[in-house]
Amino acid sequence: MRRKATTLGAAFAALAVTCAMFATTASAAPAWKFEGKSLEGTEVILGAAIDSSLTIPGLTTKCANFLYKVTIKNEAGTGKGEVTEVPLYNCTTDQPEVCTVSSIAAEKLPWPAKLATVSTSNYIVIEGIKVAIKYAGIECALGGITVNVTGTAGGIVDNATETATFNSTTFGATKTELKALATKIQWTGIFPTEAFQWHREQALSVS
Amino acid sequence: MAQRTGAERFLAPAARAAGAGLCLALAAAALLLAGCGGSSGDSGSAGAASSTAGTASAGSPDSPSSSQGASPTAEENKRAHPSGAPGGGGQKHAPLALPKDESGREHAPTAAEKANSPVADMTLFSPSLPAAEGIAALTPPYTCDGAGSWPALRWGGVPAGTKELALYVMSAKPVNGRLFFDWAVAGLGPHSEGLEAGRLPAGAVEGTNSFGKRGYSICPEPGGAETYLFALFALPRSLSPKPGFDPRALREEILATSGNAGLLSAAYARG
Repeated sequence: MRRKATTLGAAFAALAVTCAMFATTASAAPAWKFEGKSLEGTEVILGAAIDSSLTIPGLTTKCANFLYKVTIKNEAGTGKGEVTEVPLYNCTTDQPEVCTVSSIAAEKLPWPAKLATVSTSNYIVIEGIKVAIKYAGIECALGGITVNVTGTAGGIVDNATETATFNSTTFGATKTELKALATKIQWTGIFPTEAFQWHREQALSVS
Repeated sequence: MAQRTGAERFLAPAARAAGAGLCLALAAAALLLAGCGGSSGDSGSAGAASSTAGTASAGSPDSPSSSQGASPTAEENKRAHPSGAPGGGGQKHAPLALPKDESGREHAPTAAEKANSPVADMTLFSPSLPAAEGIAALTPPYTCDGAGSWPALRWGGVPAGTKELALYVMSAKPVNGRLFFDWAVAGLGPHSEGLEAGRLPAGAVEGTNSFGKRGYSICPEPGGAETYLFALFALPRSLSPKPGFDPRALREEILATSGNAGLLSAAYARG
């Protein structure tokens, strides 16, 4: 009898710990913060990507001017957002003598975004991405065709550098993927996360 | 880690309510089972972000220009670099810049362009090819290392009004500066939903590939690896090419005629 009670007690104790851990996890959804204070209302992030490239099998595309505008807010304690504008200019391929980019556009904007924690790292996950790229070149296999890049993308947020970095590791961690040509494609880039509205020059962090 | 605010501490009642429900279920399970164990820790090890932000190469600061609706406004750019100089105003990142020469700037595909050139909105995949990490890979039976026949293909989303389908396989990278055609087939029925491996339906016509053969050949250099593009085009009228047709000439006609395509890439590394 005493042994049974002890077992039950241990089970409840373990359960209590589990529940406490779960409660902590549930309330620890990452949020946008400025100077350590949770963002109230909305803010706009405007930036230019650093060294971003998109690799469709056999063809890598880079845009010298990869700008973006993201509206961020906290909703029920969790960081959310919307990518509202993504102007892409001066795009080239790694086969410049054969394949050129004749037109490119982010479509179906705004793209919803949310913050998520995986292990101990914070990520921004962007959903509903669609980018239409039309390549040109008579000797280019994709020449004359408009290729659609679609899917979701997860990038790790670094509070120290105020950047979000997207690469194959961050896609894997967030279980996100972008596809084109019926194939998973690679997108890498570093995206500064500076505010340009009410909290300009304030340190933006995610925690 | 910044201190959590008071508001945050009280902002997750719903999550806690959900947690309580889950805990009740867990309690039942815990009582039924003699114990519990295991962990579901995420093993994903995201790489730390590079801290190269301070050495951004986003271009030199130019006068803000917003000829397109999707551009940052002049006011936003002014806020971005109020001093007008790189790094001015305490900016930690490169200032925003739009290209000076707008004549060479890409534009968004217009509706007319989309109507007059193929948009890859049809589905195309191969049940014959294994996919590693989401990328299809050709296996020896579908190359010159095996029987050298094409893999089974399936497609969908063929638009209404299509009169014929044409299928191309091209090397993703040109050979000696020229697009390399590995296979070209025209005359595929508009209501067809795919091809069986190594079998062509009645009415299908094969062109002469870049090896000089009429038919399908996937054969990279020994020790080499290549990526191949399978492209299916929906045609609003029959092109009726003759057997052994020139795929290059027909492709030009297709690109001028077709409004829809299905694309699939597959890689092959030759031992």
